[in-house]
Amino acid sequence: MSQGPAAVPLRHASDGDSPLTLLRQGISDILSRRRLVRYLVQADMKKRGSDTILGNVWWILDPLLQMTVYVIFVSVIARRPAPDYPLFIFAAILPWKWYSAVINDATNAVVNKDKLIRQIAFPKLVLPVSTATAGVVGFAWGMIPLGLLMLFFLDRVDPTMLIWIPLIAVVQYAFTLASAILVSAANVFFRDLGNAIGHGLRLWWFLSPGLYSLQAVREIAVAQDFAIIGTLAGFNPFAVLFEAYRAVIYGGADGVSPPHPPDVVSLLILLTASLVLLAVAVVLFKRVEPEFAKVL
Amino acid sequence: MSPDDYAIAVDDLGVRYNLRFTRKSTVRGSFASLLQRRKPERFWALRHVSVRVNQGESLAVIGPNGAGKSTFLQVLAGIMRPTEGTVDVRGQVSGLLGLGVGFDTELSGVENILLGGAFLGLDGPRIRELLPEIIDFADLGQFIDAPLKTYSSGMRARLGFSIATAVDPDILLLDEVLATGDASFRAKSKARVIELVRSAKAVVLVTHDMDWVREYCNRAMLIEKGKVVMQGSPDEVTKLHLARTREAIARRKEELKAKGLDLAIRPKKRRDRIKPPAAPPAQPGAAT
Repeated sequence: MSQGPAAVPLRHASDGDSPLTLLRQGISDILSRRRLVRYLVQADMKKRGSDTILGNVWWILDPLLQMTVYVIFVSVIARRPAPDYPLFIFAAILPWKWYSAVINDATNAVVNKDKLIRQIAFPKLVLPVSTATAGVVGFAWGMIPLGLLMLFFLDRVDPTMLIWIPLIAVVQYAFTLASAILVSAANVFFRDLGNAIGHGLRLWWFLSPGLYSLQAVREIAVAQDFAIIGTLAGFNPFAVLFEAYRAVIYGGADGVSPPHPPDVVSLLILLTASLVLLAVAVVLFKRVEPEFAKVL
Repeated sequence: MSPDDYAIAVDDLGVRYNLRFTRKSTVRGSFASLLQRRKPERFWALRHVSVRVNQGESLAVIGPNGAGKSTFLQVLAGIMRPTEGTVDVRGQVSGLLGLGVGFDTELSGVENILLGGAFLGLDGPRIRELLPEIIDFADLGQFIDAPLKTYSSGMRARLGFSIATAVDPDILLLDEVLATGDASFRAKSKARVIELVRSAKAVVLVTHDMDWVREYCNRAMLIEKGKVVMQGSPDEVTKLHLARTREAIARRKEELKAKGLDLAIRPKKRRDRIKPPAAPPAQPGAAT
C-alpha cells in the first residue's frame, strides 16, 4: 500500500535483475524497515511470554529440562559420559535450541502472513529476518540458566572466557539467518517441507557433536579405518559452533583442560561461508518474492 | 490535459498464474508432476489491459466475480508483478484491499495500529501522530487495549478501515470496502471514503455498487475473464454490465433447464412435496 515517496518508475517488471541488484534491494529492504523488524520481534516475544502461566520462566526452565533428559539418557546408555557432563552438553543445547526454534518458526514465517501479503506491498524479507532475530533474544535468555548451571561447576568455569560467547553467536546468527531465509521461501512452494524439516533437524542434532565431542568421533573413525568420516564431521557448521561454545564454557573435550579461546580460524571460515550463503539466500528470496502473492 | 499528465498508466498488462504451484503444492506432488511430464498449467488472470488514469480522475473497475478486478488492484498496489506489459504509478499509493485482516491477533488494538503502520511503511513519528485519530475513528472503546482475538469480525473491520484510511495517499485503491461494520460505522466510513476520493489525485475502485459508480466515478472499465470489455463513461459501462449480467443469468437458466434443474421449477417442487406421494410428476413438461 503506501510505499513511502515512491520513485517515479515504481514497477520493476524485469525478470532480469542481476543478483547484485537483488542483493542490494534485499539489504535496503531490511535497513529501511528496521522498525517493522523490531515490532515483529517484540510481538513474537510477547506472544511466547504471555501465552503460558510461567511466562518467561519457561525460557529459563526449558533448556535445563532438556539438559536433564539428555544427562539421564546418556548416563544410562553410555554410562561413562564426559566429566561435568551437564555443562558439557548445555554448551551445545543452548545454541541448538536457538537454531532449531528459528528454523521451525521460519518454515511458516511467510506462509502464515498470506493474507497480509495479498493485501499490502511490503518487503517479505522482514519476516524470516525477524524470526531469526527473535531467536537471539531467546538465546540471550538462555544465559540465565547457563549462569545458574555454572554455579555448580565453579572450579571449571573461567568467566573471562565467556566474552567469546557473543562473538561465536555472531557467526551462528549469520548461518541461522541464511537458513531461515531459505526455508521460509521454500515452504511457500512446497508446503510439506515442515514435516521433513522436523526430522532433518533431529537427525542433524544427533549427527553433530552435541552429546559427544568431535574428538571422540574422530578417534572412533580412525579406529574403524574410516578416518574420512572424522574429517567430514568437521565440516558440519554445528561441529564448529558446538566445539567453540564448549571451548569457552566447558573447556577441552578431554574434560581436563580449562576453558580456552575457540578455534578462531574455523570460526572465520564458517563466518565467511555463512555470509556467502546469506547472500545467496537473499538473492534467491528476492527472486521468488514476486510470486508469493500469486502462490499463497 | 496533456497526455503526460497521468497518475497511472497501464500498458498491455498481463498477469499469469502458474497453477503448478497452487495452495497445496507439496514436494511429493511436484515430483509426481515432474515424472508425468505434465505441462505446467497456466492461467491468465488479466491480459491485454491498457488504461490510463489521469490526475483527478476516479476509475471504477466492474465485472463479475473472478474477472480479475482484484488482481488488477493488486498489480497497481505493487503486491503483484505484471507478467507482461508495464505499469507506471506516479505518487504514493494506498489501498484498501480487504479489511478483515488484523496484523496480529495476539496483540492489542493499539499495538496492531503500530504494527500495521510499520507494515504500511509509515515512519515512527508519523504513526504516533496519527494514532489518536485512528483510535478515535475506530471507536472501539475499551477494546482498543484488548487483544485482537477478542474482537468480532465487525470490530476488526473497523480497526482495519481506520488504519488503512488514516493516511491521505496520492493514489487511492479501493476494493469493496463500502460495506463495513454496522449501519452507523458504514455511514461514517462512506463519508471518509468520499473525503479520500475527493482529496486523492486519482482513485481506482472495485465495486458491485453501480449507484456508487455513477455517482462518484468519472470513468468506468468493465472486465470479464481478464479482458477489458469496455471503457467509457460510468453510465454506458454500467448499462452494458447490467445487460450482460442479465444475459448471463438468462444463459445460466437455460443451461440449468437443459439439465432439468430449472430454477423456476423449484417452488413448484416444494408444493409437490406437500402433496401426497401417490401422484408423482409423471409429465415433467407439463409443469411449464
